[in-house]
Amino acid sequence: MTHSLHREGPLDLLNREYVLFVYPARGFNYDGSGPKAKRLVEMLFQQGPANLLVTTLRRNMYSGISQEEILNSIKDGAKIFCVLEDREKIKDTLVKIKEMDEGISIVISGVIDRVREVSAELGLNPHTVNLSLGIHGRTDRLPPADLRQFTTMCGHGMVSPWLIRDVIRRVKTGKLDLREASLIAAAPCTCGIFNPCRSVEMLKDLVPLYTVNRL
Amino acid sequence: MLIRKDLCVGCGRCQPYCPVGAIHFEELKSIVDQEVCYECGTCLRSEICPVEAIEESPYVYEYPRALRKFFSDPNATHALTGIAGRGTEESKTNDVINRVVPGEVGVAIEFGRPTLGMDLTNIQKVTRAMAKAGITEIEPENPFNDVIQNHTTGDLKPELMGEKVLSAIMEFKVKRDQLGHVLRTIKQAAREVDSVFVVDVYTRLEPGLTVPKEVIEVIEAEGYTRRPNAKINMGLGRANKRKDA
Repeated sequence: MTHSLHREGPLDLLNREYVLFVYPARGFNYDGSGPKAKRLVEMLFQQGPANLLVTTLRRNMYSGISQEEILNSIKDGAKIFCVLEDREKIKDTLVKIKEMDEGISIVISGVIDRVREVSAELGLNPHTVNLSLGIHGRTDRLPPADLRQFTTMCGHGMVSPWLIRDVIRRVKTGKLDLREASLIAAAPCTCGIFNPCRSVEMLKDLVPLYTVNRL
Repeated sequence: MLIRKDLCVGCGRCQPYCPVGAIHFEELKSIVDQEVCYECGTCLRSEICPVEAIEESPYVYEYPRALRKFFSDPNATHALTGIAGRGTEESKTNDVINRVVPGEVGVAIEFGRPTLGMDLTNIQKVTRAMAKAGITEIEPENPFNDVIQNHTTGDLKPELMGEKVLSAIMEFKVKRDQLGHVLRTIKQAAREVDSVFVVDVYTRLEPGLTVPKEVIEVIEAEGYTRRPNAKINMGLGRANKRKDA
């Protein structure tokens, strides 16, 4: 999941997006981590995540499954991937995680300056940072940046640039609204960190710029 | 993946779901170009086909084709390592494991990301360059070990040369004073490949979420630009289960 590092998009939207991972460590706190993960997921559902997935089910919130199915799938070793849309939400979530004190590694992927501020406000001492040094090689072969801001929300690359073009076309032709289009785009993401709320904002800006063939 | 010709009604709904554009029309039916397909399974998982014509190919788990599946479908667990995903836990559990300690830097080269994927011939160009630069050991639990024939030369298994992966992560750690040399080598190797990869480094933090100055200086000196977003281990994990103790 190193991929959450490479999320692209407008800085003002990245500034208010926090990806949260709960990650048990193999051989260290893996055994017995299931009930802890379950308690954390129950708490995260109360926070109103923009998206969430547990790795024991590998289906995100928008793939037609219920919260119960997600909770029931959790067992030892389950990792939780989640997106929270707002600074106060991440702060409140971290306060709760600190109180729950489950002892499982918590990782926040976000704009480093914002995470620094939140950590300072909560008296947390982050341990390790993973920095992205960008894309290298034949960058001319990449999909255009306006589509990458959607496709890189799924770091495994499961959200196709053609799907983004397709939902733009369907929005422009009145077949979908922005939210519906964003949920369709979010569905293939198997890491559960495609943020449909950010997608709505970005589509709002992008849709007028595209032309479509109605034939 | 394949689409059953006898069932396909040619609606084309599956086509935009393929992340690499492997599905196209042929004689009014959708077909999967087997050379282009990475076996990621997105088309099948989308459940978009109205007549359930999309299926897994019968030979998808046959070696060496299976490599595509293990390194492209996030739901597939690697057969040899038993690890789902492309890499290890890297920085994510470093507060518990201490994989990278102060004075060391973890480096990851994520081949094929974002979106394009990469064939093994191109990946080998990078692994050979890294081996020449002295990187002959990668993270032991990293599934990428499975494709390497010779760690000293960076040669990959010859039978895999026709295969490709949507993402494979080469992870290793170096002493801080080696980082400049490593980043320089990666930059040179990037000129040789026909696809893309992303590079990331992870390091222990100093108080106040401060990235060590020595690391930043090397990154900048080698001409790399850091993205404003980062992945931060919040230091809330521990190896012993205090609550259960």
